[in-house]
Amino acid sequence: MDRRRADFDTFVAASTDSLMRTAYLIVGDLQDAEDLVQETLLKVAGRWHRVRGMEHPAAYARRILVNRALDDAGRRSRRRRELTGEALPDRHEETVGFDEHDELLRALAGLPPRQRTAIVLRYFLDLPEAEVAAAMKCSLGTVKSTAARGLARLEQAMRTTNDTRSIST
Amino acid sequence: MTDQLEAEVRAALHERAARVPTASIARLTQIDYHPRTRRLRPPLAIGLLTTAAGAGTVAVIVSLTAGASNAFAGWTPTPTPPSPGQLATAQASCEGGRSPIAGLPLKLADTRGPFTFSVYASDTSSATCISGPSFTAVSGSTASAPIDVPAGHVLLSTHATSRGGAAYSYADGRAGDGVSAVTLVLDDGTDVQATVANGWFVAWWPSTHSVTSARITTPAGVSSQTVPAGPPPPCGGAPTCTSSSGSTGGGQAGAGSGQTVQSFGGVSR
Repeated sequence: MDRRRADFDTFVAASTDSLMRTAYLIVGDLQDAEDLVQETLLKVAGRWHRVRGMEHPAAYARRILVNRALDDAGRRSRRRRELTGEALPDRHEETVGFDEHDELLRALAGLPPRQRTAIVLRYFLDLPEAEVAAAMKCSLGTVKSTAARGLARLEQAMRTTNDTRSIST
Repeated sequence: MTDQLEAEVRAALHERAARVPTASIARLTQIDYHPRTRRLRPPLAIGLLTTAAGAGTVAVIVSLTAGASNAFAGWTPTPTPPSPGQLATAQASCEGGRSPIAGLPLKLADTRGPFTFSVYASDTSSATCISGPSFTAVSGSTASAPIDVPAGHVLLSTHATSRGGAAYSYADGRAGDGVSAVTLVLDDGTDVQATVANGWFVAWWPSTHSVTSARITTPAGVSSQTVPAGPPPPCGGAPTCTSSSGSTGGGQAGAGSGQTVQSFGGVSR
């Protein structure tokens, strides 16, 4: 095995965990997230001769992943339904349990893809806004406004949930 | 409120991310992201004298995953009946994600022990998917024009690939009307019976042995055709031969490399 290939395998071992968790938070489905990460790493592998010389190969992979996720938003599960006539069961469904922050996560899942992506990159990966902008291929101002709108919607959703709880109790 | 909300969002995201099964991550890290498939030879039309339509093809490996070293245990030279749920499991594995399969109808599924080899195809695109207990590999090809295979003929295309150091080969292609069975003879003498359905056939074997001849069963009987080793010479070596250059491109993005489709006659019966 040549050195370049060994470097790529090391990169995969180091970056897959973060890519997979990020993908899952963005697309909300384990199977789709796996597909997304696999496609991302296949693409990185094809360009590894250039990518390995970059200062931050992981940031490059993240940019590919984010762009593919945004490009394909809403298309993946729709395609499965078209092929099979009905949605395929998520083969990992049984391993995913409920979260304490269920309402918040439901609200997050209801955000438009770009807002959800900005929130995930900003608050899960704790990326500076400039890096979020680079990953999403947009300006710093757009990231600020997109994340702010996302947070406002989450806040509104949480307030509604709390109000509903207050009324019902 | 914003600081509190941001803290809650962070906590919720980390909590949710922690739910990703470690098996998912392990699966992704075990995948071999370096494609190795190569087409052994251009497609061959086998049977009686024919004029084959131009066919430019390009093979694209989409995914090739790693697995155990004894990767092909359970393979049989003759197709076996699928176990309960085997076809559905294979279909789910093959059709997930972005791949050449997307949008193509399933033409046939060849099962040998725990392995399922599926062929998806339209008039100008086809994709194959081999699915086993620990892996799924998909490849696709496109033709610049629909391929017309006359009755009693098959269009044979052979491929070799490896997975985690374990080599396997497969032959697939179109089967003309009347073709009810195809048996491939490998250079080590092994007979591998193909699955034939819906105008397509496929067979695969866990080695790099090449195909030396094919037996084709039609209502007229069984015909045998020698398959020349390596890339076929232009109209050399066959008693009767016509050849036509495959037209590539023609609106098919990426179909830039030419292929030659050759037709061979002089079939012994």
